[in-house]
Amino acid sequence: MLPFGIWAAHKLLSLNKSRPWVEAALALPLVLPPTVLGYYFLISFGNTSIFGIPLVFSFTGILIASLIANIPFAIQPIQRAFEAINPEIREAAQVSGLSNWQIFRLIELPLSWRGITGAAALTFAHTLGEFGVVLMVGGAIPGETKTASIAIYDKVQGFDTSGAGAIALVLLGTSLVCIALSYGVLGRKPNLHKGLS
Amino acid sequence: MLRVKIGQTTPSPLQINLECAPGELHALVGPSGSGKTTVLRTIAGLNKPASGKIECDGKVWFEGDDLRSKVQQLSPAERSCGFLFQQYALFPHLSALSNVTIPLQNSDLNTSQRKAISLDLLDRMGIANLAERMPNQLSGGQQQRVALARALARQPKVLLLDEPFSAIDTPTRQGLYKTLAELRSDLNIPILLVTHDLREADLLADQITVIDEGISLQTAAPQVLFQKPRNSRVAELVGISNMFNGVFDAGSLSWDGCAKVFSVADKGKIPSKARVAWVIPQSGLSVHNKPTQTSMPALIEKMSSLGQIAATQLRIQDSQNTIEWEASSAEVRRLEMEVGKQMHIELDGNQIHIMPLRSINDPRRFIGN
Repeated sequence: MLPFGIWAAHKLLSLNKSRPWVEAALALPLVLPPTVLGYYFLISFGNTSIFGIPLVFSFTGILIASLIANIPFAIQPIQRAFEAINPEIREAAQVSGLSNWQIFRLIELPLSWRGITGAAALTFAHTLGEFGVVLMVGGAIPGETKTASIAIYDKVQGFDTSGAGAIALVLLGTSLVCIALSYGVLGRKPNLHKGLS
Repeated sequence: MLRVKIGQTTPSPLQINLECAPGELHALVGPSGSGKTTVLRTIAGLNKPASGKIECDGKVWFEGDDLRSKVQQLSPAERSCGFLFQQYALFPHLSALSNVTIPLQNSDLNTSQRKAISLDLLDRMGIANLAERMPNQLSGGQQQRVALARALARQPKVLLLDEPFSAIDTPTRQGLYKTLAELRSDLNIPILLVTHDLREADLLADQITVIDEGISLQTAAPQVLFQKPRNSRVAELVGISNMFNGVFDAGSLSWDGCAKVFSVADKGKIPSKARVAWVIPQSGLSVHNKPTQTSMPALIEKMSSLGQIAATQLRIQDSQNTIEWEASSAEVRRLEMEVGKQMHIELDGNQIHIMPLRSINDPRRFIGN
């Protein structure tokens, strides 16, 4: 997910007129109700799935659904980090003779470190807590498609509050750590390194 | 040799024509927004002009025409320019040494050779001891030197300096002037310097191009530019204080608002009875206590002392014309000058320079130019 996020965020920088529409499309999973997203996945992943094989109620299905639902979380922090780089820095790299790939690898990537760690943490936390989309696409098959958040729901339905509480506590702690990381504990500074090979 | 001829109408108009020989320092001066930095960026390949040709050391970097039928454009990486940005643009995540090593990434040198070259450059800049510091641990002047070392690392064919001294204090600036003067003799490549400081351009440059609204108005050596501006706009932009209007007719210049007529030489470029602007340098003025055959009575209106120099404003008797006269404080004391005192001022007609007047309707057109 992260390599895609980095690629897409970088690609967005070079778009002009189409950029608002592409950004809006990529941000859709943020604003759509999970059930709406889940409904479209259900339609697309059925017997006539666009991937050629039925994906509903399978681990592969919820994996793909999760990836798509997480697109904004993977792209936006990285995009903001790329945008924060002073354009003169890129130009200085260009006149220093670096190729686009070298500029990306040696300049942009290290300077976007905070955004990338933030995106990783946010994506991980959001995947853990995903409920609506996963439930609609995967159902709740134990060992196959039952995620932590669905397990909590099932336990509450079955009046197992202590079991639900334990899983909820683990999710709470994990999410807190992830969000703290995304807010800068890991990525407060860019990836500073003194040497170049 | 760097040859630049570029033109465009959008996003901002640009009509530039200049040449810079190896070892020459060529300053681009003009008001803010006149297009000086755009010229540098265009040479470096960071901006693309509509038409023109940029050629350096016999190699064409850009060639194109308005019709876009033929466009040849090298990327910034292919142009071999050393570019010093106004705000340095150092890579903030790399040490001073690594910043200088970056342009050597694509060279055939191994890591230790790259490091040795970079250290040598930092040493020439006098900051080898700061090689391991990060940019945010360096002062403005030190960052400037790192940026200059980085600009030189690739052994560029041309050095482009965008207002390099504008953001640093005066003592540091003096040190950098010295460094630049030393580099000039060592490098033997064309150096273009963008500055809005005329004194800096006068001090450092062999040639100055005055740019206004994207158009190069005049290219000349500093002493020529300050004494013989091509037209009134150039005179205005280079800050000539004693500029007046008059009518020129067959070697005689009559001064507007004044009965005085001067005998002035001209190369025959100004038509008869043409309205002209004229300037006179400080060396063409002399002030006396007593009248001479050609002097005019003038009243001291204002006086201000600027250290060793005193600036005096004299109003010609029976006219509204005032002349700025600069002299040493000792000379002012010798003449016992004070506000309100009548003096006698002489203008040397041989040093008067007449120019076409700027048209009122179109600021870019000059009558008789």
